[in-house]
Amino acid sequence: MGATIAEKILARVSGRDSVRPGDEISAKPDFVIAYDFPGYTDVIFRQMKEEFGIDKVAEPERYALFIDHMVPAVTPAEEDLHQVTRDWGEANGVPVYERRGIGHHVASELGYAVPGAFAVHFDGHISQMGTFGTLAMGVRKHLLEAFVKERIKMRVPETVRVNLNGRLAEGVMARDAFHHIVRVLGPAACCFQVLEIGGDALPHISIDGRQTINCLAMFTGAVTSIMNPDADTLAYARDRARIELDPVASDDDADYAAIHEIDISELEPVVVVPPRPSNTQNLSDYAGTDVHVGYLGSCASGRLEDLEIAARVLRGHRVRDGFQLNIVPTSQAIMEEASKKGILTDLIASGAYVASSSCDYCFGRSGVMTAGQRAVSTGTLNVRGRMGSPDSEIYIMNAAAVAASAIEGKITDPRKYL
Amino acid sequence: MQNLKGRIAFIFDEIDFDIDQIVGVKNIKIQDVDELASIAMQSYDPDFRDLVRPGDLLVGNSNFGYGHPHYPPMIAMRHLGIAGVIAESFSPGYWRGEIAMGFPQIPCPGIMDFVDRWDDVEVDWQDRQVRNLTKGKQLEFTELSEADMQMIQSGGLIGYLHARD
Repeated sequence: MGATIAEKILARVSGRDSVRPGDEISAKPDFVIAYDFPGYTDVIFRQMKEEFGIDKVAEPERYALFIDHMVPAVTPAEEDLHQVTRDWGEANGVPVYERRGIGHHVASELGYAVPGAFAVHFDGHISQMGTFGTLAMGVRKHLLEAFVKERIKMRVPETVRVNLNGRLAEGVMARDAFHHIVRVLGPAACCFQVLEIGGDALPHISIDGRQTINCLAMFTGAVTSIMNPDADTLAYARDRARIELDPVASDDDADYAAIHEIDISELEPVVVVPPRPSNTQNLSDYAGTDVHVGYLGSCASGRLEDLEIAARVLRGHRVRDGFQLNIVPTSQAIMEEASKKGILTDLIASGAYVASSSCDYCFGRSGVMTAGQRAVSTGTLNVRGRMGSPDSEIYIMNAAAVAASAIEGKITDPRKYL
Repeated sequence: MQNLKGRIAFIFDEIDFDIDQIVGVKNIKIQDVDELASIAMQSYDPDFRDLVRPGDLLVGNSNFGYGHPHYPPMIAMRHLGIAGVIAESFSPGYWRGEIAMGFPQIPCPGIMDFVDRWDDVEVDWQDRQVRNLTKGKQLEFTELSEADMQMIQSGGLIGYLHARD
């Protein structure tokens, strides 16, 4: 019996020849990643010292910290938190990446998404490194274990394979494909399992799109998501890889808990209707709904492909008067590229408000809504209160649909603008 | 580890239950435990806080804790005396968060049809069974990972890491 890519990675980091689902292992993460956030990093730094008497982490090159939330700071308390992070990083010899963009994405730009590597974070959206064949898990407060012990104890998860087949039609994006997976399989289809995505559609989905799909794995119940690396993702990842590892991939005779085949060729743009991240519906059924705010950004969508298609939709049009369209590229590198290509010029000319990279628009710290307002968004989540008042609403959709909706001030099918 | 023994104080029959509803999303940033406890369950059973006793348990349906769970709802529940949650299945994010608090979570397929509200139950860790003492029947629950069991036993993540090699 062969092994899945996740099993091969966990075997290596636990010092075994092979592992099977259900095995109890002690795994040494290749990378331990976090962004500074109250209740997480500040508590970890304090507990390390006060509870465990550890002044410094043993192998600082395994750790990476990001300052991407509360950027820019608007209170002294926020800046204090950032300063604690900078000081800790300096004292420990751990890099602190600040104002480079959203860490979940920037980690790949910086070479932490090494094919075959194992990474942990407290936040599950790190799963997007799975695009490059990196097994990256969000473990919430258990991240402390990776700061005070060399190894973390865990049970090897099963893997569920989802094959995406066919081709996405014009105006239908990877974002739609992910939410379609949730619609077809349900929000607990991969509970405590690894979601492995393949299928004949995958080579035709851009790296940007694959990052979107892997980023959102948690909404299937999965502990992470991963794809076998191909020539494109290896070319991206290998040049910048921080450690040398042989890439691994699932064997043809690997054992899966389930294999699902999903055809995406007939898929149309979808909307995730509030207040549940699992409530995927066809956008056409909600077209015409009045909306007031648009957000294009986040670790899920806000990459070049998203900005490019939004610019295509908006070119020659104006954002409707009174509609607030916030566009936040996922990283500064993406913003620079979009600037060089003239994409930002088109977006700005249409009336969009374009901001430097930050997580803050996604979780209700910037661009917040008041009661009764309704947003179209490429953010990660549509639960109540996520972007301000608990009595506001968030309709999640692809980047093209956010742009089209901004023109009309109503939920709008983007295909008529493409 | 000592068995859990108490009444079923509430059954959340909603699938994919978002625990933030326990205190209400608008209250999710409240940190004062007494205040949280006073508002918890208001929309489900306004008398809940007067009826609940230390050691009581909650029951949930499939994928309990789905969404974007925060800590305050279960901080409130523990403050009111709730000793654990038994559910058909759990959402991993919620699971990790509460296990790190040392709060017992028991995955038990079939639990929804096995208990009624206020039944007396016992969770036997050794035999891996939930016993319905009121109805005189028992149901096996799913084995927890070693790390999760030890974390519950040690009262949470910090105790677990001290005890670990």
